[in-house]
Amino acid sequence: MVAGPSKRRARHLAFVPYGAFLAVFLGWPGFYVFRSAFAASGAERSPMIEAVTGQFRGSFVYSLQLSFISSLIGLLIGSAVAIALVRLQHVRGLRNVVVGYSSVAANMGGIPLAFAFLAAFGMQGLATRLLREVNIDLIGWGFRISDFWGIVLVYLYFQIPLMTLVLVPALDGLRRTWHEAAQSLGASSRQYWQMVAFPILLPAILGGFLLLVANAFAAYATAFALSSGGSRLVPVQIRFFLQGDTITGKTNLGYALAAWMVIITTALVIGFQLLARRAERWRR
Amino acid sequence: MRLSRALWWIVLVIAAVFYLVPMLAMARFAFQRIPVIKLAPDNIFSKWTIEPLLNTFADPDFRQAALLSVLLAVATAVATAVLLVPTMVAAHLHSPRARKLIEVSAVLPFVVPAIALVVGFAGAFRNTVPFFIRNPVGLVPLYMITALPFTHRTLENGLATLDLRTLVNASRSLGAGWVRTMVLVIAPNIRASIATASFLAFTVVLGEFTIASLLLKNTLPLYLAYAQGQNPQGSFALGLVLVVLSTVFVALSNRFARSVTT
Repeated sequence: MVAGPSKRRARHLAFVPYGAFLAVFLGWPGFYVFRSAFAASGAERSPMIEAVTGQFRGSFVYSLQLSFISSLIGLLIGSAVAIALVRLQHVRGLRNVVVGYSSVAANMGGIPLAFAFLAAFGMQGLATRLLREVNIDLIGWGFRISDFWGIVLVYLYFQIPLMTLVLVPALDGLRRTWHEAAQSLGASSRQYWQMVAFPILLPAILGGFLLLVANAFAAYATAFALSSGGSRLVPVQIRFFLQGDTITGKTNLGYALAAWMVIITTALVIGFQLLARRAERWRR
Repeated sequence: MRLSRALWWIVLVIAAVFYLVPMLAMARFAFQRIPVIKLAPDNIFSKWTIEPLLNTFADPDFRQAALLSVLLAVATAVATAVLLVPTMVAAHLHSPRARKLIEVSAVLPFVVPAIALVVGFAGAFRNTVPFFIRNPVGLVPLYMITALPFTHRTLENGLATLDLRTLVNASRSLGAGWVRTMVLVIAPNIRASIATASFLAFTVVLGEFTIASLLLKNTLPLYLAYAQGQNPQGSFALGLVLVVLSTVFVALSNRFARSVTT
């Protein structure tokens, strides 16, 4: 089918609606955020600089700390669950149940999740109460669901399954034959894991970690519902700036915060994509 | 060998407990009319009632919010299918490079967090097309973008299993125009994918809070957050219902997805 110039133009026409849609509803808002972030509002410093110095630096640090720690713990536990699935793969149906529930839990977030944790680990929580029965007084120890470690706990709910979902396909890629081949060459099980399996899994593990960090960093609803601890997070601060009931004339700062968020998330996602592509190599 | 197996079982059991406890706690708070302090082994099974949930259902604010959310979810699902299917079919017929380009573009929403997207959207449209901000229908494009990575991947899986060129050529050579081909030939063949993508879009819309909150639209998740003050038990009950519903949706979409690739 030789296409003349008019036919080629007609073929390209098919992509116009989608392209226009993305440009108008994704490109334009993004462009607006960055344009406002770089607009000098007559203040001494560019909003972009001010957004990451002074009082807001603390917000970014807090957000990133929360993201990194919840992702690190999520990585360890999520990997453990994924490995458990592989070690117990002879149990029929177990894998489907765990992977299935993981895909639900990984997308869970927001208000219902916050509610559930308030009901469990809040001041009047069920688990708090039950733990007190066995002499573990969480509240007495200063644990609050709305503080840093409380939010980490809540984030783990979707971080762990996300890591599991990323790692299970990677573990599938490790063929049994490789383990047997290594053993026939005289390697111990530990050597196999250390020198063969782990390096192969590393891109998937690192990529998964970056995905978790991006996921936690962008989370808004959960933190919002847990209020006090959430107000130090960058997404919630952006909201305070741009909902209009606070300091006027400083709205560009809100956009600068948003712009920095996009920059950080972009870097994380690019990192994830590159690592995921490397991990894919072993699956062919 | 048996010890290490047991160890892995313990890992899974601990994880399972971690996942069930918050849900159970939420259910208990929602449906049992005993404050935590007064809980004792002897009254643990008493005073359970679904009254809080019924109270929520009777609330006119709830009904309005639920209606809005359902309408938005349906609109998002339909608009996504109408926009994506022809585009992706065109890409498949065009070249692998076009496919790749669409694939990359579908990951872009991950790069822009919802909070950034909505403030940019509000700022950009406020001075030019305020209609999209005032009217809830403006949420639909934003929801489509939020769901794009998932819906695209689902539809991609479905289209990949078809011999698209043959189908299209056959249909066109029999005289059907493009629209007829899409609607009567291609769409029925990717029925499962479209259903899965729609379920995913539904799940996204029913759980989405950030965008609706900043645009001050009264959707179901917003009602959930703000009804907490007046009717704590009822809102927790509703939260639990939403979780169960999302679980069902995801389970159904996984079931559909599996039937696509077999």
